[in-house]
Amino acid sequence: MHLPFGAMSLLNPLTALGIILALGILGGQIARTSSAVPTLTGYIVTGLIIGPHGLGLISQPLINATDEFVQLALGMALFELGRRIDLRWLRKERALLITAAGGSAVCFTALYLILPLFDVPLETAAILAVLALSCSPAALLEVLRENRAEGQVSERLVAYAGIGNLLALAGYCLVLGISRQDSGLPVESWLLAPGWIFLASAGVGLAAGLIAIHGNRWIGAQHREAQEVLLFALIALTVGLSSALHLLPALALLAFGLSTRNLPRGYAVGSPWVMRYSVVFFAALFVIAGALLDLRQLGDYLPLAILLVVLRSLTQVLSGTLMARANGLSRRRGALMGLALMPMSGTANLALLTSPALLPVSTATVLPLAIATLCLTELLGPPLTQLALKLAGETRPQS
Amino acid sequence: MLEFTNSPPLTLGIELELMIVNRHDYNLTRGSDDLLSLLDRRNHGFDIKPEITQGMIETATGIHDNLGEMYKELCAIRGLLNQCAEKLNLGLAGGGAHPFQRWGEQRIYPKERYRLVSELYGYLAKQFTVFGQHIHIGCPDGDSAVRLTHFLSRYIPHFIALSASSPFYQGADTLFQTSRLSSVNAFPLSGCMPLVQNWAAFNQYFGQMHALGIVASMKDFYWDIRPKPEFGTVEIRICDTPVSLGLAPLLAGYARMLAHHCLATGWDRIEPALYLPYTYNRFQACRFGLDGDIILSGDQGRISLLEDMLTTLDRLTDDARALGLEDCQRQLRERVVKRHSDSEWLRAHYAASGSLSDTVRRQSERWMYDA
Repeated sequence: MHLPFGAMSLLNPLTALGIILALGILGGQIARTSSAVPTLTGYIVTGLIIGPHGLGLISQPLINATDEFVQLALGMALFELGRRIDLRWLRKERALLITAAGGSAVCFTALYLILPLFDVPLETAAILAVLALSCSPAALLEVLRENRAEGQVSERLVAYAGIGNLLALAGYCLVLGISRQDSGLPVESWLLAPGWIFLASAGVGLAAGLIAIHGNRWIGAQHREAQEVLLFALIALTVGLSSALHLLPALALLAFGLSTRNLPRGYAVGSPWVMRYSVVFFAALFVIAGALLDLRQLGDYLPLAILLVVLRSLTQVLSGTLMARANGLSRRRGALMGLALMPMSGTANLALLTSPALLPVSTATVLPLAIATLCLTELLGPPLTQLALKLAGETRPQS
Repeated sequence: MLEFTNSPPLTLGIELELMIVNRHDYNLTRGSDDLLSLLDRRNHGFDIKPEITQGMIETATGIHDNLGEMYKELCAIRGLLNQCAEKLNLGLAGGGAHPFQRWGEQRIYPKERYRLVSELYGYLAKQFTVFGQHIHIGCPDGDSAVRLTHFLSRYIPHFIALSASSPFYQGADTLFQTSRLSSVNAFPLSGCMPLVQNWAAFNQYFGQMHALGIVASMKDFYWDIRPKPEFGTVEIRICDTPVSLGLAPLLAGYARMLAHHCLATGWDRIEPALYLPYTYNRFQACRFGLDGDIILSGDQGRISLLEDMLTTLDRLTDDARALGLEDCQRQLRERVVKRHSDSEWLRAHYAASGSLSDTVRRQSERWMYDA
């Protein structure tokens, strides 16, 4: 059954959003009845069922109509994740920095070396290994929020994820450059373009951060609503500008959040509201993320996708366990922190892999395997993150 | 029957309850378990333990008869706590109440006694997420402890005004200098010790309460001042935890001078008139701090709290000299004359920044680094 929303003139971003949210809430409510599954999994499954690859109740044009909203939701999550990277802490707490950077290096190396053994081209393996370093900010923050998780595992998990995402984006630019160089493209295409993408993205984020800090100080915390409007405007502006300039919005938003946390007087920018108002945005984001998943891709690529997911999780669990004592955690809690990093961001990664300006040379071989991997991590990741946080004793007990 | 453990008179010890806050929005956070696990790995020998909810931690000094030594120990404890808190990216802060935490979000520490308190008192247990300084003064015997408890009740407004540091509660300015005591008042066994004349009478009272099943131990009395027979002390429980570390030993020094005065003069005017203005004076100090008025017992009329404190400090000159606490007396006097108050410091910062989150950030920097 296909509802003819795509053909109707009534379709605009708001009706699309309304339909997606209204349908998504059904799945969310069903998930809410189970303590084993976070609500966002309900949204994702709903998207999967009603999406173009499922029952087709929402069509691709309907999804496309909500793109700005999705980008904004993703922007809010990345901004908040950036704000959780506390460089002052990382300077003192080298163990965490080593855990995240070392864990990412091991993860990349393992995937880069092992995937080609299963007939995955080297270049494809490099791109997948880089993407595997990322962790879905929206899924992570939403699971933490819903379970009101607090403690060292949660704190270090978010910082680890933030560092992982930064490394993934930097690595992506690097792989992009190497891929283009190998294809014999001119120097401006393989060196200057990726360099420009990386630096300009970070620059846009930094500029937004500086404007936010000075703007917030000028407005004053007494006028919290005005500060919130400014911050929202800057998030939208950063997403829009970096997209228009064919940069990496994800990197710009991370840099934005990071700068407001770490630049002098960054404390002028309060952010709890981001999570407070993000519920609606995230609900739509997860339904659409589910709708974008195509389980048929699993058919051919399931074994490879499982291998990738297992290797990724193993290296993260291993790095968490080995570095647990240095992080002030028990080995068990260190392992749980690694396990909780399972969700990968389908929306953000697919945006990368389908943007013409950011295309590596051999996208055609990457995309199906990436989608298959994302199907697994989007579906299994959030429940595993929730389970890990529960086992670590950091979620709020049910009253 | 409670045995009173005799202890060297006028020795001192203090307990401090501290806030554990996160470093992104400076709200209270569930950090006591992680902090204690990390502390357990170090062979420190200090008394650091959990409190009723997981955003709190309590520390206590050893027994001292010298304020300088007590301050040194407090600095050493703070240094250790800071090291561990920094590793965990946690902040520690003084102050009587967290300005914007939501009591419903607090989690009871998983310990049998706290679980029982939570079961019995329901939401009051979580609302008890407030932070105080307790001062223990050594007493030679139970009778002296009873006398000293009654004697100190007259000076409770002084301790309240000197330590007041909880003007904000649940995100709002309460207009009180200390809002913390409102949380304590809600407990049915709060208030003050009944008018018993000596340790035998106190024991009789305790025996009756115990037989009725109202209390199981002295811990069940949430009085402002209470004898602590197992330590051989009188415990003043009325003070907010100061915003800066330096004030904590000064408050202990004040208690010591008063106790010296009581024991040296053989004070024993234990009479009902003593407690007639008690709750009124207590309210005045909580609400207005040094600007409050108090009523003196008997027919001595009304006096400003500030004036009463200055008079009292003058009257304690001989005691200060006898105990070597002249510097403590001078610092307290200066604080009163200049109307220095942690509550006003917090309000001033909030007025300047407009953000309670930023106010707690400053509060935390002040506690941890004297900034």
